[in-house]
Amino acid sequence: MDRLRRALFWLIVGLTALFLLLPTLIIVPMSFTTTTTLEFPPVGFTLDWYGKVIGAADWQSALINSLVVAIAAAALATVVGTAAALALHAHRFRGKTVVMGLLLSPMVTPVIVLAVGMYMVFSGWGLVATRLGLVLAHTVLAIPFVVVSVLASAGMVNPSLVPASLGLGASRWFTFKRVTLPLIMPGVLSGAVFAFITSWDEVVIALFLADVQTRTVPIMIWNQVRTNLDPATAAVAAILILLSALGVLLSYKFRDVRS
Amino acid sequence: MNVSAQDGAVPVSARAPWPFRVPTAFWLIAPAVLFLALFFVFPLLRLVAISLPGGSVEYYEQIFTTPVFLRVIGETFRVSLIVTAVTVAVAYPYAYAMAHGGRTVLLLLTVALLIPFWVSLLLRSFSWIVLLQNSGLINDVLIAMGLIEKPIRLIRTPFGVMIGMVHILLPYAVLPLYTVMKKIDLRLVEASSICGASWLKGFIRIYFPLSLPGVAASAILAFTLALGFYITPALLGSPRDMMIAQMIAGQFNEQLNFGLGAALAVVLMVLTAIAFGLFGAARAVLQSRGRSKDGV
Repeated sequence: MDRLRRALFWLIVGLTALFLLLPTLIIVPMSFTTTTTLEFPPVGFTLDWYGKVIGAADWQSALINSLVVAIAAAALATVVGTAAALALHAHRFRGKTVVMGLLLSPMVTPVIVLAVGMYMVFSGWGLVATRLGLVLAHTVLAIPFVVVSVLASAGMVNPSLVPASLGLGASRWFTFKRVTLPLIMPGVLSGAVFAFITSWDEVVIALFLADVQTRTVPIMIWNQVRTNLDPATAAVAAILILLSALGVLLSYKFRDVRS
Repeated sequence: MNVSAQDGAVPVSARAPWPFRVPTAFWLIAPAVLFLALFFVFPLLRLVAISLPGGSVEYYEQIFTTPVFLRVIGETFRVSLIVTAVTVAVAYPYAYAMAHGGRTVLLLLTVALLIPFWVSLLLRSFSWIVLLQNSGLINDVLIAMGLIEKPIRLIRTPFGVMIGMVHILLPYAVLPLYTVMKKIDLRLVEASSICGASWLKGFIRIYFPLSLPGVAASAILAFTLALGFYITPALLGSPRDMMIAQMIAGQFNEQLNFGLGAALAVVLMVLTAIAFGLFGAARAVLQSRGRSKDGV
């Protein structure tokens, strides 16, 4: 009875893990199929779909848009978010909870609400169908991730190091550059990676703000999935998954440097 | 670079990990606050304004008196509730295994949990379309097992939407459960069995009540997120089973009825805020419980 219960328990847990992994695991093999429809298990082996995607002008321009927007949004969110996180970490002030709530709230606001709100406001400001509009919107989404990440790493800095450096005669700016910044760097970098991926994967806001010229890779995928499912989509998906995996490894590497 | 003796005392607050004076805090926070005020808060306020033209609540009246809108809001609640219940039920044993299964199990299960977490929602929904289509893996397996004779329709149904949503919400539901469960002392359950309680009784009377704060937190989090789902229902569902996010998008893309769309968006925002407020309350209860336990 006891053993049966145990076996059943582990079966359920194992099936849940399989359920979690299945959709990710099947995408990559499917991109190698020689059939023209998406099949799992794939039939044969070809890299044609990758060639088709990499050679296509619309995918190329989408890729460039995605990269430019994600890098710019990540840079902006990292600078603004890091500064705010440092201040939040070190100071108590009135309204701190409110500021904290504001900085984190883009994370819990339904994206569709943000998308239509930004669409209305940005169209008045001439920001719709521009890369700048996308950068600003994605920065909003990314700031909370940077704040959380930097706050976590600032919490681990030994607070007596700064007075020590000043006491030894270093200037403030020198102390900031050589003591503070290196110590919080892992948090800053993993925040930047989070910010990049947030923008890189974002589709709902981009659907409202981008046009044919400024559309990003997720929009191309969205259009493909809604019209026809072909293995080229799986090839793009596989490339994106590879990039995300690289990002994750990077962000863990930054954390390892610390510990 | 002179010795700072003339500079006076060390000019920082005790906790500051950097060497600048206190007023710096303002200048450090101001850019982020200004940025979000302009590009986040202002668009949301703008939606509220658009939804109330000239102070009139006509759009809200329309939403709460027209059967179509009521049905979509009802459907959103129905799907979100079912998805939440299934998600928490699936997450519970998984989190239990993570909390009490030892280091190797914890590592493996964490990896299985985080890999999909890092793959975008869009790609996972795409993958589910392929798995659930008539010639997809799920139908193939069911036929091979002899459970069905010909493929059953799985995408463009509420069932397909729910599978995709549970998959996306599972990591969010597991983590709060795990946080609570790893603090539960299993010796309490052992003690109950030494005292003669059956396994089931020990679980129902001892373990489950102790894990309740985690259940509440994960359910409310899953529900809050479920309310605003757009991509998954749009890709895996049929237009007949529309959720509120799709309806909002439709008002802006197709109907071009911005006032009504804005009002629907405000309704979704308020519902989410209420659900998230419950999440905060559940966490506060959890924390105060933890504190009183520490005090004993």
